Amino acid sequence: MNNFWTTFTHTAGRRLKSKTFIITTSIMALFIISLINLNTILEAFSGDGAEDEPAVAVVDQTSEEGQFAEMLKTLAAEGSFEYIHYSGDVEQALSDAENDDFTYVLELTGTLDALQAEFYGEGTDFRTGQEVQQDVQRTKETLATSALDLNEQELALIFNPVSFNEKPLSGTGEVQTAETHMQTYWMVYGLVFVIYLIVVTLGTMIATEVATEKSSRVMELIVSSVNPVTQMLGKIMGIGLAGLVNLSVLVLAAFAGSYLSGEDFFTNIFTEVIDYSLIIYALLFIILGYFVYGGVAAMLGALVSRAEEVNQAIQPLIFLAMIAFFVSLYGLNAPDAIFIRVLSYVPFFTPQLLFLRIGMGTVPVWEIAVISALLIISAVLINIIAARIYKGGVLMYGKFSFKKGIKQALKLSKKES
Amino acid sequence: MTLIINNLKKTFDKHKAVDGISLTINEGEMFGMLGANGAGKTTSFRMILGLLDPTEGDVRWKGERITYKRTKLVGYLPEERGLFPKLTVKDQLVYLTKLKGMNKQSIIKEMRLWLDRFGVPEYENKVIEELSKGNQQKIQFIAAVLHKPELLILDEPFSGLDPVNADMLKNAVKDLQERGTTIVFSSHQMSNVEELCEDLIMLKKGKAVLQGNLRTIKRSYDMKNISIKADYDLAFLEDVKGVLKIEQKKDGADVKVENEKAAETIFSCLASKGFVRKFELEEPSLHDIFIDKAGGAAHE
Repeated sequence: MNNFWTTFTHTAGRRLKSKTFIITTSIMALFIISLINLNTILEAFSGDGAEDEPAVAVVDQTSEEGQFAEMLKTLAAEGSFEYIHYSGDVEQALSDAENDDFTYVLELTGTLDALQAEFYGEGTDFRTGQEVQQDVQRTKETLATSALDLNEQELALIFNPVSFNEKPLSGTGEVQTAETHMQTYWMVYGLVFVIYLIVVTLGTMIATEVATEKSSRVMELIVSSVNPVTQMLGKIMGIGLAGLVNLSVLVLAAFAGSYLSGEDFFTNIFTEVIDYSLIIYALLFIILGYFVYGGVAAMLGALVSRAEEVNQAIQPLIFLAMIAFFVSLYGLNAPDAIFIRVLSYVPFFTPQLLFLRIGMGTVPVWEIAVISALLIISAVLINIIAARIYKGGVLMYGKFSFKKGIKQALKLSKKES
Repeated sequence: MTLIINNLKKTFDKHKAVDGISLTINEGEMFGMLGANGAGKTTSFRMILGLLDPTEGDVRWKGERITYKRTKLVGYLPEERGLFPKLTVKDQLVYLTKLKGMNKQSIIKEMRLWLDRFGVPEYENKVIEELSKGNQQKIQFIAAVLHKPELLILDEPFSGLDPVNADMLKNAVKDLQERGTTIVFSSHQMSNVEELCEDLIMLKKGKAVLQGNLRTIKRSYDMKNISIKADYDLAFLEDVKGVLKIEQKKDGADVKVENEKAAETIFSCLASKGFVRKFELEEPSLHDIFIDKAGGAAHE
């Protein structure tokens, strides 16, 4: 146990004190803070902050005799554009626009029941057009209702929204509304990605650490003092702790960022969007997934002789994680598909797929329990097998070959008496 | 009797790496393990340390097996040198010796004594990769002995060292023995073994080809060397029965013979041929015995 702590603190300490770790974590934290405050930063760089709204010259040639342009001006005063009632014709307006008197030109023709609008402008993105169209539509509706001389009740009759509620078939069932569906969708998406990132980066770290100790030949000295299995677990936990610190710093950075931006982004997320049970599941699956992948990564690291060979050795593991990730992306849209269900029983896919199924669909509690138990059992078994191979692998040098390596490592670690 | 190795065997597939070694090493003894590369020395060491499980036989230190519970009793300098290249000497030694159950303060105290002894106290806070190979080897030696082990296993401790550093390390090893440490070491440099060991074992393809007290071995060894000085050509000796090798020199020759009987034959041949300035029968050197028994050159 003592040697476990020595290895654990040594591994974690070395990582946490290393300049690379401090620098990359700080850069990532800064990046997150800036990302959350992107709007504020962009505003700071784009001048006085209260940027001028782009001006739209309205050439009103409708039957309403300029009334339309005036109405547009007042109605859209709060919007993103400043509408100007232009008295000349379109050609004049266009040439004035070229002289930068205003940014866009809107030509309105026809009558109220057959209104036509032409919108002129350089480099417009689709949103500009949409917004202007909405403003015109709203103005038309206002003019039309006032022409019909409708009272408030009649107006309400037309414009009041429909109250639309979704209900489950049975009393105890659940229904995901479009809104909650989208919220869960993004949360599951984000966390599936986090699991993938953690597994891949920390897995690579473990394998590299083991291979580096092997290639510097200090490994033989270490395993003459400490049981390789203890050492392997100490390493996996040590790197896990470094990963946890990294993750916590990033989460804190996100909090700090949202605090700085002054928006209630996080309060909002925590009170409305996030389902706490999902967070607990995410943590559980991150930890279990880490042990499944970490054990294999340590084993692969022990099979190579040089740090340069780690990438080659760890490729199968990365592919597995990638397959799990891409299957999850598909699964987000079809969480109840049979093959998602089947694959969620495979330990290497369980962390992402079971989490996805829990988040996106309704998985019976017994199934969660069964699959989680399977995952825990596999994590233990995988680590026991990995430790056997690790024990032999650390004493083995030569060219890396997956099949031969495992065979040889098992031979070296054979318990014979 | 402290270290007892009993019919130790290790087989990988069909390859017998170690094939039935038995030996007893007394407490406080310095024991040499010789053999060409691939003779089974490192595999034997690994079995002594418990890193590998023997296929047959066992190893006992003071009556018990060496397991990870007793690892603090043992010090090991592996043949393949290696330390953490990016760690400082201090961090390195603290970590490696903590694994042997020693606390940090005692480690640092003891480390300073050793660094002083090797004349490199300024290396305490240096990163390993900045040190020369010879100095790295000193640090690794310190890592093996810092926790004051009862049993010290040194795999090729002097290879790659310049004569000054080799002497420094040799003296350190002698001191440790005087303090009561039992030392088992392997070396390709026969002169070191002759200088340090009383008892030895010589391995070939996993088997002991020679074993026992060094002086007795040499004395009872049939093969002898004869140093001859004479004024005439000694090439004719090549045809004498029992001559293994003849090396002609300006004023004579060094002749290697199978046994004393062959030496007598040569002596009478020479007497009939003419005057001999020198005729000396010498015991074989360990080097000769090694080449004779372990087969092939002792390559590094």
